[in-house]
Amino acid sequence: MPSIKLDGKEIPFEKGETIITAAHKAGVEIPHYCWHPGLSVAANCRMCLVEIDATPTRRQLVLDVLAWDEKKQDYVPGRKPKLEPACQVECIDGLVVKSDTSPNVSDARKHVQEFLLLNHPVDCPICDQAGECKLQDYWLSEDKQPKRKTEEILHKPKAVEFGDTIVYDAERCIVCTRCVRFMDEIAKDPVLDKRERGNLGEIFVSPGRKLEGHYTMMVDEVCPVGALTTKDFRFKARVWFLKKVPSICPGCATGCNTWLDYDARTGEVPRLRPRENLAVNKYWMCDDGILTHRRVQEKRTLHAYVGKGKARKEVSPIAALKAAAQLIKDAPGKVAIILSAQRSTEDNFALAYLAKKHLDVKELFLARVGDWDGDDILRDNDANPNVRGAQRGAGDTSLSPLSELAEPVAGQQISVLIALGGEADISDATTVGALGRAKLIAIAANHGPLTENAEVILPAASFAEQDGSFINRQGTEQRFSAGPEPAGDSLAGWDILARLARQLGKPIDWKSFLDVRAAMKAALPSPAAANPESAAAAAPAE
Amino acid sequence: MPQPLVGSFPYDKVKGTAVPKPTRTASEQGYVSEITKGIAVTMTHFFKNTRAMVRGERPDPVVDPMSEGITTLEYPDQKRPYPERFRGVHRLTHRDDGSPRCVACLCCSTACPAQCIYIEAGEYGGKDKRHGYERYPVKFVIDELRCIFCGYCVEACPCDAIRMDTGVHPVPYDSRDQFIYGKNMLLAMASQAGKQKHENPRAEPPDADYGPIERLAGHH
Ligand code: SF4
Ligand code: SF4
Ligand code: SF4
Ligand code: SF4
Ligand code: FES
Repeated sequence: MPSIKLDGKEIPFEKGETIITAAHKAGVEIPHYCWHPGLSVAANCRMCLVEIDATPTRRQLVLDVLAWDEKKQDYVPGRKPKLEPACQVECIDGLVVKSDTSPNVSDARKHVQEFLLLNHPVDCPICDQAGECKLQDYWLSEDKQPKRKTEEILHKPKAVEFGDTIVYDAERCIVCTRCVRFMDEIAKDPVLDKRERGNLGEIFVSPGRKLEGHYTMMVDEVCPVGALTTKDFRFKARVWFLKKVPSICPGCATGCNTWLDYDARTGEVPRLRPRENLAVNKYWMCDDGILTHRRVQEKRTLHAYVGKGKARKEVSPIAALKAAAQLIKDAPGKVAIILSAQRSTEDNFALAYLAKKHLDVKELFLARVGDWDGDDILRDNDANPNVRGAQRGAGDTSLSPLSELAEPVAGQQISVLIALGGEADISDATTVGALGRAKLIAIAANHGPLTENAEVILPAASFAEQDGSFINRQGTEQRFSAGPEPAGDSLAGWDILARLARQLGKPIDWKSFLDVRAAMKAALPSPAAANPESAAAAAPAE
Repeated sequence: MPQPLVGSFPYDKVKGTAVPKPTRTASEQGYVSEITKGIAVTMTHFFKNTRAMVRGERPDPVVDPMSEGITTLEYPDQKRPYPERFRGVHRLTHRDDGSPRCVACLCCSTACPAQCIYIEAGEYGGKDKRHGYERYPVKFVIDELRCIFCGYCVEACPCDAIRMDTGVHPVPYDSRDQFIYGKNMLLAMASQAGKQKHENPRAEPPDADYGPIERLAGHH
């Protein structure tokens, strides 16, 4: 493989790659603002300037400059290599590039940084980006000098609404045009553009339009500074209080890889961010996916309940487990289960395992929510993250849709249902009637049609609070990790099922998530989950 | 019957030195003469103090605590003044227009080692002149019971919004919730000199010294 030498380090590259891309892949960061691995090159910020030595086929540009001479106390003529943007120069085999090791480069970075901050408001204390801002990072690593400009800064519009999700601050904007390019190239809706020049430059929305569609919140993610903020996260948290765990978006069958940011003190999950996975979501997510963080707080079950409608009352988790066990014991042979395309493969496996092994259940149903509008960017029509995982949890038994529930319930073959998840798309009246007639035990994190009809509700942890995995539309199993502690009385889904088994006098000895994984591996040696740890390595199964 | 000591401490094996009982003289044992001596000392001081007070010779215990003589403070009617930089309970400063100077940046709660400051940030509405420039605390709560009075919050504040110059030391209350100071309570406090304003003037929209929005001002 051809390679370049960056600060003395061999860096391999593929034909056509720029210096910054090759370095990025090798894990070396060259300071930059406008370059983004997923976007086209604009080369307008000049932060990535590097010094490139001459090669036999490429001469080095040299500039005549006046340099300050400390001894003479005067400017003297000198020569200096012309620096080139690493984000734009293509790699050539054997190219010798100096980045951190060149005093000229350090000098340039310092000046670019000072230039970008010339009219910057530096209102970091009230800026949501503070703590993860490139301006702060590079000021600390490259500049570190107090502001020399004494005049009042140039004022520009602040808190401009760019639509229903995004707020723009022109004073903080460094006009890197990442947001413009994102809307153009990825969201395929070139609704943003730049106007004016020099220090008056600012981003605006096409007249008569607003920033809308499924991919607006990503502009906040690509913005390297605090110029774009989402209304959803604005002023909600300071980022240094947040911890992150790798997670998977539960929004649809695509299964975008995410970072789940949570506040360990309160258990709140104020935002999700995309996590790079070139095989699934590249660098992006859709708005609805980001907003799934609300499911961790909204409509949560939190406590155990027994009874339906007016008779429903909160009970201790153990009392609810006992009530559930009693319902099951009272209806031998008449139990069916409803798996959930919204919950993890492990939870589905746990329920199917309990049902098949100990309850002699024949009929397995699948609850899923309705479709949403997919596109060919990221979103899948299927708004269920784990249809394939639910099927895998059930092994060879096929899953029937909920609409087939009415007949056996009416015919008294089924009188007790154990359902995973509270959400389901139940539109027809007969199914609703069937759910109402049967005695339903719901193991759910969020309230929905299933918990509404439930006789017993057992509060389960949300996707943010338990380890698990989803199998996405490509057939790739993707693991997600537990962030905050389970809220209220909730427990991981498989844990509730293991406890329920104990109440039934048929113990299942799972103590941890890994026990469930091991049991699943032993029970279902299927190649579908060939590569649990790495989504990128698994090939699409379709 | 006395209960045996719990456990089995090996008293017999421990070696030590016996402390002899103090011996008493007959007058000590007789009680009356010793009591008379004690009362005599007390009465001496009583007459000495009374005389000093009547003649106006007693040093002022508030301003002159290190002088010779009796400088007992009649607390709480008399209080020693705190030094100027004494860290008392917190207050939140006001802007000139009376609004809280705090911008809800959470710098203070970040710096606070006791983690006793809770803030919820809000945004000035679309019509407000500070819209877009400032956030403000919707909730600002300090748990003064948890606070260790280190003053880090004051150091951390970028806009002189929080101060500990009230000169009020933490007051004993009879229930814990009374130590939880809310935003209004903190805004109502004043400095030792009675000031409530901040001392960090800064050009703010729409002050005269705050520049215009250049694009709208016609610089093209
Ligand atoms: S964009 Fe960065 S440097 Fe500017 S105010 Fe926000 S955090 Fe501070
Ligand atoms: S808003 Fe952010 S991403 Fe867009 S040009 Fe300005 S700094 Fe760049
Ligand atoms: S004085 Fe110290 S402990 Fe008390 S609120 Fe301020 S930072 Fe926290
Ligand atoms: S008191 Fe000061 S440091 Fe604390 S939130 Fe308000 S402005 Fe920030
Ligand atoms: S990253 Fe902006 S010029 Fe290269």
